[in-house]
Amino acid sequence: MTDLDDSLESRPRRVAPFAAVGVGVVIVALLWILAQAQPGGTTTADSPLLGRPAPNVQSSTTADTPFDLSRRKGSWVLLNFFNSTCVPCIREHPELVAFHQQQSALVNGAELYTVIWDDREADVERWFQNNGGDWPRVRDPEGSIGVAFGVARVPETWVIDPNGFVRLRILGEVTAEFLTERLDQLKTPA
Amino acid sequence: MTLSHSWNRRVKGWLGWLVMVIALVGVVTVAAGRDRGPQTQQDRIEVISARLACPTCDGESVVASRAPAAVAIRNEIARQVIAGQLDDDQIVAEIERSFGGRVLLVPRATGLDALVWVLPVTVAVLAVASLVVAFRRWRRDSELLQAPSDDDRALVAEALAHERAEDDES
Repeated sequence: MTDLDDSLESRPRRVAPFAAVGVGVVIVALLWILAQAQPGGTTTADSPLLGRPAPNVQSSTTADTPFDLSRRKGSWVLLNFFNSTCVPCIREHPELVAFHQQQSALVNGAELYTVIWDDREADVERWFQNNGGDWPRVRDPEGSIGVAFGVARVPETWVIDPNGFVRLRILGEVTAEFLTERLDQLKTPA
Repeated sequence: MTLSHSWNRRVKGWLGWLVMVIALVGVVTVAAGRDRGPQTQQDRIEVISARLACPTCDGESVVASRAPAAVAIRNEIARQVIAGQLDDDQIVAEIERSFGGRVLLVPRATGLDALVWVLPVTVAVLAVASLVVAFRRWRRDSELLQAPSDDDRALVAEALAHERAEDDES
């Protein structure tokens, strides 16, 4: 066996540990990404708007009263983006009715607004008549409120504090219990 | 022989210059006739929309998608273009402020997003460098393999001696 043969045979052995380490790193990275993924259902989500002043959105309600988010300062405000054909929106509706009743009974209860997202006003009004819910419905015919909040899918719920800062973004269905719990957490000073 | 050689050289020289002139004229012509950017508001809306990704689609731009979120973004772009207060970059930045960086179809060249640009170049440079090293090694190895050993030399010498002996005998 010559020196050359030795060097040729030993080369694969030198590469193998590095290749194994590389593959191991990739597998660990993939496992980490999987571990970070959130399961479906109600999830709070990140947004560039969190901790910043809420977008200055103006519109009107289906009762033809003006809606100006900046004038809601002083109260906790929940904006629920809704579409009457969206199944999770339909499923969460009784929970929103329960939440609204709870908050209405409180002295400084949160204000709840439905923002009509990619839906006809008449359909939404019919839905509310049939399924209950007497909080205001805000028009958004061009989708500008949805864009201002970065809404891609419904249902989506946003919580804005009495100073007008965005505090929470919730993707998917909510429950009255979940909303009350998170609202209490936000109200409690850290 | 010498005359035809110099003539060939001269022709080759002209040919090179001719190709360069044609290429230059071509480049100038294409540059002069190039699209000078959006001419109407609708063009501008489409140009801005093409820079943004539909937030609910897979790799589709806002200009191509019919998803509600994409339509809403397009409406917002149209509103901003008609208002005429913001330039294209500012409108894109406004949308990004709401939706985050995922809405950008072309990643930024700053921060972590810069990896998208830097990584392919780094990988390409490393790949070329690795190939150069590998080729050099292969060449060296082949040279080593082709070099005759003492045994080979002895074998050849023996064969030659044998041939010479046979010649002498005949």
